[in-house]
Amino acid sequence: MSSPAVSAPSPAFGQRLWARLRRPDWPRRLKVTGTGRTYLMVTLGVGIGALNTGNNLLYLLLGLLLGVIVLSGLLSERVLRGLHVERVGADALHAREPGTFRWRLSRERGHAFAIEVREVHAELTGRATAAILGPGRSHVLRGQVTAPRRGPLVLEAVDVSTTWPFGLFAKSRRFPIPGEVLVLPARIRVRGEVPRAHQGLAGEDGRARFQDGEGDLAGLRELADGEDARRIHWLKSASSQKLVRAERDREERQTVELVLETGPSRAALDRRCEELAAQARTLMARGIEVGLTVGPVRLRPSIGPAHLRRLLTALARAGFSTPPVTREVA
Amino acid sequence: MSARLNRVRLRLRDLAAGAAFGSLVISWQLPSVLLLLAAAGFVLALFDRRPFGDRHLVGGVFLLLAGALCFGMVWKGPVDLVVGACCFATLLTLQRMLSAPGPAVDAQVNLASLLMVAGGGALSGDLLYAPMLALYAVFSILAMGLGVVSATVAPGTTFPLRRVLLPLSVGAGLAMVLGLTFFILFPRLSWNMAGGRVSTGLGPVTTGFSDQVRLGGSGSIKSNPRVVARVHLSPDPGDEALNRYWIGRTYDTFDGVRWTAQSTPVETEGQIRLSHGGDRLIHQEIELLPAYGARTALALEAPSLFGGAVANTHKGRRRTRMQRLENSEIRFEREAPGYDYHAYSLPADVTREVPALTTGDLDRARSLPADLDPRIPALAQRLLAGEQDPLRAAERLARHLSTRFRYSMELPGEHPDALSHFLFERQEGHCEHFATALTVLLRTQGIPARLATGFFGGERLGDDYILRAGDAHAWTQVLVPGRGWVSVDATPPAFRSAQPEPFLTWLVDRYEALEERWCNSVVDYDIRDQWAFLSGMLSDRERHDVLAGEVVEARPRRALGMGLGAFFGVLLLGWILERRVRRPRSDPATRFHHRLRRTVQRDPTIGAGLARGVPIEELARRLRQTDHPAATPLDDAVRRYLEARFGSRPLGAREASQLLQRLRSALGTAARSS
Repeated sequence: MSSPAVSAPSPAFGQRLWARLRRPDWPRRLKVTGTGRTYLMVTLGVGIGALNTGNNLLYLLLGLLLGVIVLSGLLSERVLRGLHVERVGADALHAREPGTFRWRLSRERGHAFAIEVREVHAELTGRATAAILGPGRSHVLRGQVTAPRRGPLVLEAVDVSTTWPFGLFAKSRRFPIPGEVLVLPARIRVRGEVPRAHQGLAGEDGRARFQDGEGDLAGLRELADGEDARRIHWLKSASSQKLVRAERDREERQTVELVLETGPSRAALDRRCEELAAQARTLMARGIEVGLTVGPVRLRPSIGPAHLRRLLTALARAGFSTPPVTREVA
Repeated sequence: MSARLNRVRLRLRDLAAGAAFGSLVISWQLPSVLLLLAAAGFVLALFDRRPFGDRHLVGGVFLLLAGALCFGMVWKGPVDLVVGACCFATLLTLQRMLSAPGPAVDAQVNLASLLMVAGGGALSGDLLYAPMLALYAVFSILAMGLGVVSATVAPGTTFPLRRVLLPLSVGAGLAMVLGLTFFILFPRLSWNMAGGRVSTGLGPVTTGFSDQVRLGGSGSIKSNPRVVARVHLSPDPGDEALNRYWIGRTYDTFDGVRWTAQSTPVETEGQIRLSHGGDRLIHQEIELLPAYGARTALALEAPSLFGGAVANTHKGRRRTRMQRLENSEIRFEREAPGYDYHAYSLPADVTREVPALTTGDLDRARSLPADLDPRIPALAQRLLAGEQDPLRAAERLARHLSTRFRYSMELPGEHPDALSHFLFERQEGHCEHFATALTVLLRTQGIPARLATGFFGGERLGDDYILRAGDAHAWTQVLVPGRGWVSVDATPPAFRSAQPEPFLTWLVDRYEALEERWCNSVVDYDIRDQWAFLSGMLSDRERHDVLAGEVVEARPRRALGMGLGAFFGVLLLGWILERRVRRPRSDPATRFHHRLRRTVQRDPTIGAGLARGVPIEELARRLRQTDHPAATPLDDAVRRYLEARFGSRPLGAREASQLLQRLRSALGTAARSS
C-alpha cells in the first residue's frame, strides 16, 4: 500500500514564501512549556532590573537569556526542517484501549532530537517519542494512542513537535497527511448468555462424506481438472507419479449467526456492537463459527483471526455511512 | 534512560549551579557560613550524594529554615535585601540539587541557578563574573539540552551522547555571541546607576590605612603589584615614572613601638580646602579601587583642595562628603569599596602656606618615647655635629641612614625596642624603620617632625598614572620655618616604590588590563557608548556627540560594510563547510571504480571503447576476447571492484593503487608494442 510522505517545503524561496502567504495557518506552532514560562518570567525580571538600575551585568545576563531564546528557535527549526513523515498506522485499535500506532520518520541531513509525533485529531490521543533521529534512514516510531469510540476516524494531519534544545518551548510542525483509522469496538466481557450454537454438518448438503471436508481422511483419487490444487496429497502423488487428491470427511460444525439490528441510537448501537464483538470473540474461542448480519451485509459463519477481524471491521463500520475515502491504516 | 546520559546531565547541571554560585562568591558579600555550607553541598552533589533524596518533608523544613534565616539576616541588618535574596537563592539551589533528580527538579535547579547569576550581576562588577557567566551558560545549556533529550530516551537504551553534545556546544557558543549582540544593541533607556568597580578582584584588600603604624614585621606589601589607584593628572607631566609622594596620613605620637595620631573630625564638607593654591595647581582625578581598602583620600604632596567625591557602593554610585581630621587626614564620610574624587595639589616649586600650629601640635611633633634608648640622641648629636637648620639636619640624617643602612623586607620576629634594634644591631629594615628612625633622631634634637604614610611612585598607563599596593610607603615630614612640613625620605631611593616580582607584575598587569577593558567595555557601557557605536557605524565624518557634547572618534562607513561582509562571509563559510561535511562520501569501492574508468578512458587505444553508459565489465570481456595485454590486470581490477562493492570484501587503498599501477603498466606496454 503506498503511503503519502510529506517532505520539507520546496527549495525555491519564492515558492515557499508564496505558499506561506497563501496558507492561513502558520506552518509552525509554538507553545511555551512550564519551564519556559518561568524562564520568561525570570528574563522579564532581569530585564526590568537592568532597565531600572542600568547595571550592565544584568544587561549582559539579559542578552544571554534572550540569546538562548533565539537559539532555541533556531535549533528547534533545524530539527523540524527536512523531515519526512509517513503514517504507518495500527494493527488493531480498539475503542477506549491504548493501541500501538506507528509513524515512519526520516530526514536526509543532520540529526533531530527529542521528537514527539501525534495525530491531529481531537478523539485520537497519544503520542510517540524519539530521542534522536539519524540522517539517511527511516525510523518507525511507536506510540500508544487511545480513541474513545468505535468507527472510522478521518485523519487529516500528523503533528511533529520538539522541545529541543532547552525545553522552554514546544515547537510543532503539521504535516497534512489525509487518512483514516478504523477504531474497532471496545473489548468488553460478555454480558449474559451467549447465543446457542446451531450444531450440524455444515456445507451445501448434509452428507457426512463430502469431498471438501476438513475431517478424517476418507480416500484418495486422481485429481480431476478444475479441482482445488490444495487438496493434492503430495506424498502419494510423488510415489504414484500422478496428481492424487485426498478426500476428507466433513466435520460437524457449530455455528452462530449474530445479527446487528440497525436503527437504535448511536450510543445503543455502540454498546450492541461491543456486545456482539465480545460474543463473537467468546464463541470463536470455543471453536464455534460465527456469522454476522449487519443490515444488507452478511458474513458467512467462519472461524479464525482473519474472520474475527472481518467481523470486527463490519461492526466498527456499522452505522457509519462514510466510505473510507483515502487510506485505512488500521 | 541511559545511565551515562543521566550521569553527565546531572554533573553538568551541578557544575552550572557551581558556576552560578561562583558568580555570587566573587562579590565577597555572602556570609561565611553560607559559603561553607554551599561548598559542602556542591561537593556532595558532584559525588552524587543527595541526602534530601525523596524526603520532601525534610527538604521543605530546610527551605523554611533557610527562608527564616535569610529574612532574619535582612531584618536584623547584617545583609541587605539583595544579598539576602541571593542567600536564599543559594540555599534553594542547594536543597533542590541535593534532592532526587528528575525533570522538574532539574528545571528548578537551573532556574534557581539563574537567580544566583542574576544576583551575582547585581552584587559584583568584577572581571571574574565574565568567566563565571560563560561557564554557567555553557554548563546550563548542555544540561538543559541533555535534560530534554533524556526525557525522550526509552528506558534501557543507550544514547549516542556525542551526537547531542556537539550541536549543544555549538549552540552554547552561538548563544554567547547572540548574548553579546543583544548586550551591545539592547536600547539603554536609563543611565547606568550601578556602582563602578566594587569588587576587590584578586582577593582581599591590601593597603588599608590604619589608625596606627606598628614598627616591626615584614614588609611583604612592597612586592604586591596590585593596582590600588588610578590618577589622571592635569597638566600631564608626561613622565613614565612619576616618583612623587602621595600623602594619605600623618602620625605625630610615637610610644617606642607604634605611631598614632589624633583622628577626630574637625570639618565635614563636600569640599575641603587645606591651603590656598593659585593658578598652578595640579588637578588630580583619582579613582581609588576596591583593592585600596580605606577611607583615607590620597593626593600628591602638598594637597590643597579635595572635593567631588563619589562612593562606588554595591548599590550604585553615591555622592559622599569628606572629613578633615585633626592630623590633616582627609577621609570619606561614607564607607564604600571604591571612590572617585578630585584633588588639587601645589607644585613643588610653589611657596606654601605655613600651617598655623598650636603649641600642642608642636609638642606632639617633638615628643619622644619615655623609655627612649639614650644611644639614639647621642647618635643624632654625633651625626648632626651642631647642625641647627631643620631641613639640612634632616637631609644629613637621611643621607646617613640611606647609605649606611640596608633595605630589607625579610624581618622575622618582633623586637621590644624595634627602633634601637634597627639603628644599632640589625641595621636593616623597611621604609617604616627608616622613617621612624629619621623622625625620632630629629626630635631628639628638638626639631619637629612626623611620620607620613601614603604612596611613592606613579606608573604611566595610557594617559593615566597607576599606584600599586607595593608603592605604599612611609617617610618623614620635618617642620621647616617659612615652608611648613617638608618631606624628607631616609629610605634608599631604589626601594621607595614597589618591588614586585617581574613575572607576578606581568600577570597582574595582564589581569588589570583585562579588568580595565572589562570595566570600560562592559561595566561602564552606557547610552553614550551605544550611541557612539551605532552612529560611528553609520557615519563617515567626525561628529559631535549630542548627549555629551564631545567629539567622538570617527569610524568609517566601511566598518558597517566590513561588518556585514564578515557576517555574510561567516554564513557562507558555514554553509560550504556544512555541505562539505554532510555530503555523503562515496565508499572506497566506488571511488576505485571511478579511478579505474578514468585510467582506462585516458588510454588512447582502448579508452574510446569505454563510453558513458558502457559497463567496465563489458570492456574487460571484449579485451579478454581479443587477448589484449591489459585484459588480465583489468579483469583482476574489475573482479576486485565487484567483490568490494557487492561481496563485502573491503578494498584497501594500497591494494587499489597496486591494481591500478598494474593496469597502467600493461596499458603502457600495449601502447609501446602497437
